[in-house]
Amino acid sequence: MEVGQGLTLSAVGSQLLVGLSRAMILFIVSAGLSFILGVLRVPNVAHGSLYMIGAFSAYSVVAFFGSSLGFWLALVLAPLVVALISLVAERALFCHLYQREHLMLLLFTFALMLILDDLVKLVWGTEYRSVLAPGIFQGAVSILGSPFPRYNLLLLAAGPLVGIGLWLLVNKTKLGKISRAAAVDREMVGALGINVSWVFAAAFVIGCCLAGLGGALVAPTVSINLGMDHSIIIEAFLIVIIGGLGNMWGALVGSLIFDLTQAFGALLWPQFPIVSPFAAVVIVLLLKPRGLLKSVW
Amino acid sequence: MLKQALSSRWLWPAVVILGLLLILPPLAPRFYVYTLALIFVTALLTMSLNLVVGYGGLYQFHHGVFYGVGAYTVALMLTKTDLPMWVGFIAGPIMAAFMGLIIGGICVRLTRLYFAMLQISLGSLIWAIVFRWYNFTGGDDGIHGIPKPSILSSLTGSYYFILLVLVACLMVMYLIVRSPFGSTLQAARDNPQRCEAVGVNVRRHQLVAIVIATFFAGVAGVLFVVLERSVFPDLLFWILSLEIFIMCLLGGWFTFTGPMLGAAIMVALRTFVGRYTEYWTLILGGDIDPVDLLPAAGGDGLYPGKVATPGQGSWW
Amino acid sequence: MLQVEAVEKSFGDFKAVDGANLRVGKGEVVAVIGPNGAGKTTLFNLITGQLRPDRGRIIFKGEDISRLPPYQICRKGIARSFQIVDVFPRLTVFENVRVAVLSQQRKSYRLFSPAQSMAVAETKEILESVGLSDKAGEIASSLSHGDQKILEIAIALGGQPELLILDEPTAGMSPEETSATMELIRRLATMRGLTILFCEHDMEVVFSIAQSIMVMHQGRTLIQGKPEEVRRNREVQEAYLGGE
Repeated sequence: MEVGQGLTLSAVGSQLLVGLSRAMILFIVSAGLSFILGVLRVPNVAHGSLYMIGAFSAYSVVAFFGSSLGFWLALVLAPLVVALISLVAERALFCHLYQREHLMLLLFTFALMLILDDLVKLVWGTEYRSVLAPGIFQGAVSILGSPFPRYNLLLLAAGPLVGIGLWLLVNKTKLGKISRAAAVDREMVGALGINVSWVFAAAFVIGCCLAGLGGALVAPTVSINLGMDHSIIIEAFLIVIIGGLGNMWGALVGSLIFDLTQAFGALLWPQFPIVSPFAAVVIVLLLKPRGLLKSVW
Repeated sequence: MLKQALSSRWLWPAVVILGLLLILPPLAPRFYVYTLALIFVTALLTMSLNLVVGYGGLYQFHHGVFYGVGAYTVALMLTKTDLPMWVGFIAGPIMAAFMGLIIGGICVRLTRLYFAMLQISLGSLIWAIVFRWYNFTGGDDGIHGIPKPSILSSLTGSYYFILLVLVACLMVMYLIVRSPFGSTLQAARDNPQRCEAVGVNVRRHQLVAIVIATFFAGVAGVLFVVLERSVFPDLLFWILSLEIFIMCLLGGWFTFTGPMLGAAIMVALRTFVGRYTEYWTLILGGDIDPVDLLPAAGGDGLYPGKVATPGQGSWW
Repeated sequence: MLQVEAVEKSFGDFKAVDGANLRVGKGEVVAVIGPNGAGKTTLFNLITGQLRPDRGRIIFKGEDISRLPPYQICRKGIARSFQIVDVFPRLTVFENVRVAVLSQQRKSYRLFSPAQSMAVAETKEILESVGLSDKAGEIASSLSHGDQKILEIAIALGGQPELLILDEPTAGMSPEETSATMELIRRLATMRGLTILFCEHDMEVVFSIAQSIMVMHQGRTLIQGKPEEVRRNREVQEAYLGGE
């Protein structure tokens, strides 16, 4: 069946699914950013760098352990590495700044980004790296008559899993509930005798962990390089903005919008693929300046 | 006004510094001259941002767009048209100010964080368009080998030109900041509701400030082309805008000259430390952290003790 | 000069103003009184444009100003002081008033002349008339509460208004400050020919200088009339004065 301009239904469907799977990565990373923004009220500019570290760490783990075992290990170890780094950064430096002017926190995350970028250069050098997915994920399946990479099936599953996990964390665990309360009124939470500082630390680490996880998951599908952080950070920020600040579902909605417009834009207007998502973001913000879903504050 | 400037205690240091800068080119190696020129361009850009951030209280998070627009405009005019070069030089800032009017006009309806968000998204859209429009803007490659007037063809010539324009712009900015407009703008920054109640159309004043600031950003863009003879999409990328913002913060956004200092530091670090090690950003990051943690460095970066109660201190 | 007709304003389910009427004649001193939560400040916000009425009209000098933004209403000749002190905290007293004067003189867009030398005479005159001349160089946030409230009035005067609206001008003041302020207001009214609308909790103050009093209760106007009428009115006594 033809759908104008020589597009077939299967091509459209395939693009949709590819877009959807990439959106899952964006969701995981943006959810982390949104979470940090919601609880700590600071935009974590270093988020992209942590994503990049996740990807590079995954590369190292796979290089050491081989493709099959290594990959699964990487999914666990890479976020752990990132969690460790973020914990160190938070405890050593960040936590002293919570009482200060917010823009100082921004300054700090920027400094962190710079440091991490160079750390990556130091440890992994400047060459492009790549990771091979384990055997069962290589190759493609045929969906709607078009080839669909098997690895993307994992991504399609990972997204909802992370989403559910996050939802459970925020709504069903004590930490999650305290985080939500701290997001709205930190003085009150402190007055209740809860150590707000550790809540912030936990929230920051969890958010960064997600960035690392996103990096590890994306590793087999892209060439891992030093510019990864810059491109993901602007996308993640825009997604968080249109989704509603601090709102997890907003991150999902935002990621879907972002990537689906990119996928369709690529189909309909091949010379300008990356313009469509940015245009979509602008349109959303013009209509709903505070984001599509409610912001946490 | 002139009398006040002449009796200011900053006068003699400023004269001395200016004198040093003027006699530098014949004496110093090319590399230093080039770096200084780059500092001048960045300083102008940072100062232009401070007009809206420090004096206007607006979260202009994507100022780099206007810098890039100014640079690209002059680049395109010099490479694709036969118009006299000086026309291109004027067109750059005008185009930047025009974009400032449009984007500012759309964003100024919103406050604080939402202003910033909409601006980031609009700016990113423009970046994306420039990045992809290969036929017109050279896309990812940018435009290189841009011709410039013969007077400016040497590094020394460019240096003096850039310095001259910088000083002229700074003088104009100083005038503006001390004018009724400047004092109204600052009052609007501190208490917009009260300003409205005394008859000030706060939105419109903010928009005027944005147009002025983006005009100067466009000038900086033109100067960049004079120095580098090329443009690339990175000029419009959000990271650069963030860097400029950081320079403002670092140098002290509540002072007039603070942002220049921030710009000088970051550019100097990048260039000089970069010669010795690839890891200059590590050092920069390492330097920012102690500055951040200094108790005195409240909202004023490196000017401890000055106005240490920044705006409302929150995004929202 | 000012007429408020059947104005209503709700915030969600809460009806802050539910049918308010007010008449202020030129040169009069009118007071609005009512218990806390009666809607007085909301009414003032509606008049000066911070809020828009859901229903009803506000007419100033024959013109409907219900939907105008605050800065335009100021230009028409209405100035106001706020209940919670709302000055420019980091500017000096002098600069605080000057902002208003510059705005009134339509000079707030001037880019290339130094503000230092502008509007000096007018600002000084205002500061003298409210008695803040000796504090002109001090930072506003360092003033005492009472002085800040006077500064509020001074800023409002900067706009050369015809109608001056004062929201609880003596709130938080000592008895001496209160009578001094009321004296000031009375003087301003006569010397500058101002029409004054204010709201207050201090009944002595109200009954001593107001020529007409409007009583609000639960967002509604109960009555507006001369002080004696209001004092004698039964409804008012029940609702507010509580058996005085």
